[in-house]
Amino acid sequence: MDEMTLNVRTAAVRVDGLSRRYGATRALDEVDLKLERGITGLLGPNGAGKTTLLSILATVSEPDAGRVSVFGLDPREAAERVEIRRRLGYLPQELGYHRHFTVAGFLDYVAILKEITDRRRRAEEVARVLAAIGLDRHARKRIRALSGGMRQRLGIAQALLGRPDLLILDEPTAGLDPEQRLRFRELLSDLPGDPVIVLSTHQADDIAAICPQVVVLLPGRVHFAGTPAELAATAAGRVWAAGERDTRAHLSWRGGDNRWRHIGDDPPAGAELVAPTVEDGYLLLSHAAGVR
Amino acid sequence: MTSPFPDAAGPVARADGHAGEDLLAGYATGTVDPVVVWSVEAHLTGCARCRSALSAHVDAQRLARNRSVLLVHAALGDGGRVRRLLRRCGVPDHLLRLLAATPSLRRSWLLSVLAVLAVVTGAAAAVRYGWIPAGGPAGLAGYPDPEVLAPFLLVAPLLVLAGVAAAFLPMFDPAHRLAVAAPFSGFTLLLVRTVSALAAALVPVAGAAFVLPGPGWLPVALLLPSLALCALALAAATVMEPRAAAVTAGTSWALPALLLAATHVPLLIVQRNAQFACAVVLCASAVVLLARHDRFELGWMR
Amino acid sequence: MRPGAEERDDAALLRGVARGDEEALAALYDRHAGWLTVRMTRRCAMPDVVDHAIQDTFLALWREAGAYRGGGDVAAFIWGIGVRRLIDAIRRESGARRRLPWRAAEPPVVVSAEEQVLVGIEHGRLGQALAQLSPELRGAIEATVLDGLTCAEAAVLLGVAEGTVKSRCHRARLALRAALADQQAGPETPAHRREVWGTS
Repeated sequence: MDEMTLNVRTAAVRVDGLSRRYGATRALDEVDLKLERGITGLLGPNGAGKTTLLSILATVSEPDAGRVSVFGLDPREAAERVEIRRRLGYLPQELGYHRHFTVAGFLDYVAILKEITDRRRRAEEVARVLAAIGLDRHARKRIRALSGGMRQRLGIAQALLGRPDLLILDEPTAGLDPEQRLRFRELLSDLPGDPVIVLSTHQADDIAAICPQVVVLLPGRVHFAGTPAELAATAAGRVWAAGERDTRAHLSWRGGDNRWRHIGDDPPAGAELVAPTVEDGYLLLSHAAGVR
Repeated sequence: MTSPFPDAAGPVARADGHAGEDLLAGYATGTVDPVVVWSVEAHLTGCARCRSALSAHVDAQRLARNRSVLLVHAALGDGGRVRRLLRRCGVPDHLLRLLAATPSLRRSWLLSVLAVLAVVTGAAAAVRYGWIPAGGPAGLAGYPDPEVLAPFLLVAPLLVLAGVAAAFLPMFDPAHRLAVAAPFSGFTLLLVRTVSALAAALVPVAGAAFVLPGPGWLPVALLLPSLALCALALAAATVMEPRAAAVTAGTSWALPALLLAATHVPLLIVQRNAQFACAVVLCASAVVLLARHDRFELGWMR
Repeated sequence: MRPGAEERDDAALLRGVARGDEEALAALYDRHAGWLTVRMTRRCAMPDVVDHAIQDTFLALWREAGAYRGGGDVAAFIWGIGVRRLIDAIRRESGARRRLPWRAAEPPVVVSAEEQVLVGIEHGRLGQALAQLSPELRGAIEATVLDGLTCAEAAVLLGVAEGTVKSRCHRARLALRAALADQQAGPETPAHRREVWGTS
């Protein structure tokens, strides 16, 4: 019990020196991370190690080195690992489904895996998440008849079963249209019990819209941890617009208003500086880390 | 419909013979005289209008919640005759629902098993009954053509192994990562699936063995090798990658079977010495499995 | 309003449910769950138990809608199922081990002579007599007559022993008969009244 009260003050989820390699590739290299209650976004390109990190946090993979602590529990200990799993909701990347299952049947199956053995409680939980995710009219549909977006929402729904304290969502917004993204944001902010939520994405506007905290992961290492505003601020004074393309910029592209937007360390004198966005900060970091 | 409230006036009843709003509200909150309750209830049994008027006095959220739970129950269904029978025998419902995710218990899988058995059995019967000429010398005492059994002896335990492998190999479980990340014991899940896959596979195999023109003890003689093979595969999965484990176990049966068939004594593989060897393998595998069962808890994500 | 129209729709819905039409089940729920909830709540004060009973009732309809043979009110049919699901739910709640046989399919409830009388009782003589019964005796009569339960079922509903239900019914009927006889004979003296009603 003492350990529990102590953890109210320390970080809910801690990662120290986490390393993992697949063959010759270093997926994670000495990653340190602290996660608090609320939503944290994990931003990075494909192959940066986001999925590896999330699967280690979800106790699905083992790291090569480093320590993980979830609510004070160590996943290397079998009993504590089971306890972590009791408080966990996990949406893996590209989750596969038993295609002959119905929506309700699949959620019922996952609810049993989450140790909800009483039939009635299970039906109540399934009804609850179906309503939360907006799939209640499709309870009897077979999964193979669902669209990609609905399947993605089903994946989010199964993660919500059992009211987890730690919600790990790997690319949850993939395949969702803008209206569904909005509903997703509302859903996350309405979750009971104020859980620790960590979601990964490679789209900066998701971060800006959903996450009060963001961690930027570029091949294997953490390059930024803070608020989206702070991330945007790292590009302050380094973003400018012009009518023509400026080859001195690290990155340039034509915006919707037909003007060129540039990101670089040396804006030309008299350049029209613009307010940096989260994406600008992210792109600058990526460039600095040598990622294209 | 004659008025049920002949002498009444005021909030108790309306002139048209239906229950007034106040009466319904009072009935809903239980503040109405018990005797009045009776006549209200008797009236409601026959009057749809008052019934729907009464619904307005029930908490809408509560009604909605019960509605969604009801529809989930209806969507989940009862599971069919087999599951109902098993439930009555005392098997917990949640274990039965877990089986729904096992590919080797699905109709399509069982049909393929039956198809394979039909082919092998049919081929043996065809040779035995002279529809196809046979080759090779007469074999075991009292039994003319043991060689016709060779394909069946090779294939039958492998079919059982395949059913069990489909139950535990991650490649057959699309939602494998969810099962790993969940608190439900991975070992229990494994046991539930493999035992039921085993039972489901042994039935057609034993049935085919009965039908086969062979010695009467054949169905029984296949039991031990099948069990030993499956136990071996599971035990091996605690040391090596699961696919490799399944292949190893399969090979450890296929090679001797093929060898014995090539030397024209296929039935040796189910005779006394071989049965003894299978029993040893079964016990050893069971020990390894129990000792290292925690290996199934993390999942095979390396 | 045509009295038969709603009735036919209900029967049509039941046929739909028997065919496995989920929309029909939802429509039936929307129409009947409200009054069913209230009526059950009048008999059992525990809202969780009533919720479970409501779910079980419509589930029973989902499985056994084909048992409705078309005679009598659909609402009465539903109540016949509902009250027994309620008793099962109370039983489970109180931990009793012996289960009622699953009687989802009840013979169509014909409005009995008793119930026809009840419909007009409120201001009649019988109503006055009933009003003077003690709550326990009235509860026993309500369970066995109005709800049509057996003594065993009524015992679970009321939370007493079966023998107690039988004796209460017996005393209630005696009291009612005596009260009705009294009313016919004329205004009773206070002493005579005490003798008839006695203690409950």
